[in-house]
Amino acid sequence: MDFRETEDHSALRKAVGDIADQFGSDYYVAHAESRTPTTDLWKRLGELGYLGINLPEEYGGGGAGMTELTIVCEETAAHGNPLLLLLVSAAISGEVITEFGSDAQRSRWLPSLADGSSKVVFAITEPDAGSNSHRISTTAVKDGDGYLISGQKYYISGVDEADAILVVTKTGTDSAGRAKMSLFVVDADAPGLTRQHLPVSVTLPEKQFTLYFDNVRVGNDRLIGTEGDGFKQIFQGLNPERITGAAICVGIGRFALERAAAYANNRTVWGASIGTHQGVSHALAKSKIEIELAALMTMKAAWLHDQGEPAGDASNMAKYAAAEAAIGAIDAAIQVHGGNGLSTEMGLLPYWGLARLLRIAPVSREMILNHVAQHSLGLPRSY
Amino acid sequence: MNIAVCVKQIPDPAAPWSLDPSTHNLVREGKLILDDSDAYGVEMALQLVDKAGAGEVTLVSMAPRNETSGLRTGLAMGAAKAILVTDDQLAGSDALSTAKVLAAAIATTEFDLVIAATESTDGYTGTTPVQIAELLGLPSVSFAKKVEIDGSVVKVDRQTEAGYDEVICPLPALVTVTAGVVEPRYPSFKGIMSAKSKPVVTLSLADLGLVGAAGGAVAGQEIVSVQKAEARQAGVIVEDDGTGAQQLVEYLEQLKFV
Repeated sequence: MDFRETEDHSALRKAVGDIADQFGSDYYVAHAESRTPTTDLWKRLGELGYLGINLPEEYGGGGAGMTELTIVCEETAAHGNPLLLLLVSAAISGEVITEFGSDAQRSRWLPSLADGSSKVVFAITEPDAGSNSHRISTTAVKDGDGYLISGQKYYISGVDEADAILVVTKTGTDSAGRAKMSLFVVDADAPGLTRQHLPVSVTLPEKQFTLYFDNVRVGNDRLIGTEGDGFKQIFQGLNPERITGAAICVGIGRFALERAAAYANNRTVWGASIGTHQGVSHALAKSKIEIELAALMTMKAAWLHDQGEPAGDASNMAKYAAAEAAIGAIDAAIQVHGGNGLSTEMGLLPYWGLARLLRIAPVSREMILNHVAQHSLGLPRSY
Repeated sequence: MNIAVCVKQIPDPAAPWSLDPSTHNLVREGKLILDDSDAYGVEMALQLVDKAGAGEVTLVSMAPRNETSGLRTGLAMGAAKAILVTDDQLAGSDALSTAKVLAAAIATTEFDLVIAATESTDGYTGTTPVQIAELLGLPSVSFAKKVEIDGSVVKVDRQTEAGYDEVICPLPALVTVTAGVVEPRYPSFKGIMSAKSKPVVTLSLADLGLVGAAGGAVAGQEIVSVQKAEARQAGVIVEDDGTGAQQLVEYLEQLKFV
């Protein structure tokens, strides 16, 4: 066992952290408050090869893996610039198209994902099928030399920033009555596809949307892999989504604790810095421990994924631990700042909002606990 | 156009620095990083070579323990290779020793131009570059805020207190660049990955024929004592009893600001 970080990884951390620092946390907070995408940062990271770090070199990527994408997610967040769409565009869409796409599909989508010039977001959630993906009702029906897609998706992030959407559809039913799923890459401006902004009160640069598919025609060349293989394909993308979600949480936690420690060291109320008081310092120390533990599990999950080992348990545990730790850290940081913790100027609330979102998405805390209870402890299935 | 860039690897300024209590030298135990002030020289060199269409950038550094972390940053930015002089006898070197070592290392490679920062961020002596030029028999131009190559000469806008001088200097030459000269690039991921396969030549004092001629033992300077900087005075507190503005103006007048 060797926990020393390689020189490459240290250099990667520094380079990505420096780029995020150049923009600064004020940049993120201003864009979150005005709900406008952090496009300039995204483009800069793309130009320098950090967005496509996990994609194959022959398609313009960095030829590295989930471990490196995890570092990109963590460092941007740790330097005040968490990038939610890395979860869907780089982690899910990038991984699924790489693994199951045809050469033509890879050539069509991966280079522009890698250089940041385009995004492919991910649409699975439906009003009547949240965590239970088997119940999705958006259908794709064979029609001539293509398919017609109809149905509704919601809480789909970043559609306004995307050129295309990786859509999970139902193309049949198995003997147990569960959906046979198929994945399609649908143009964001395809005829018959309409989107409606779905307002959320969490302040984020990224917007959420409800999507309505009304006989949206796609060619056969938009089907990823084999019809009906969608469930297996999604699983290729879901672990990366959880791992990168965990990494963003670890980054938010680091960012929060750095800000909190700086404030606690400088802020003096009764002749000594407030960091002197254990009521303050212990809360931050506890969060520090929780963030470090979550970071370890996140790196383990990324490593397992890169090794081709089963990474489901580790990815779920990492995402659980990191979201809980991030919420704890940013909450402690806000508390340390007193009234200032809520000020727009301090800009802490947007990070709390994102951490809180990541307790729910991409998989809720409760679904992870169900998974661990059933799969790691052998307890009865609860649903 | 081949350019040698002097780069210093220094303790991370983000971590607290300390001085060795007996030698008063900066403690360089931990990991070293590329001095930020050298990133400008690396960037300038990369741009000049790029514009010339041929040639390469070579980093030249002196550091303890075969330290290459800072060099890798410069290689990731795009430098082609590095020369590192590392030798236990170099501990406690003064600026002249450092200049002898770097000059000898530069002489092992082909170059048309040598670029250095005006001074390092840890030592701040600012004397090493011109000493290198003298030892190599090169003309030197310091405080460059703009550098252009034009055939066999280098054209430099040299920062002065009054403005800047336009200097034309024959090559080969040594130029020191200020922080404003160019904006250093961020290394790309491909740059980081390719940096590890780029050559780093490690040389000792013996390799350079400088045993006994450079290093702590022959340092011509000694740090006799070190004292903490005096704490700043609290300044003047003006209580505003309605005449605050007037008092402020009088204070500024006294300092001849208004």
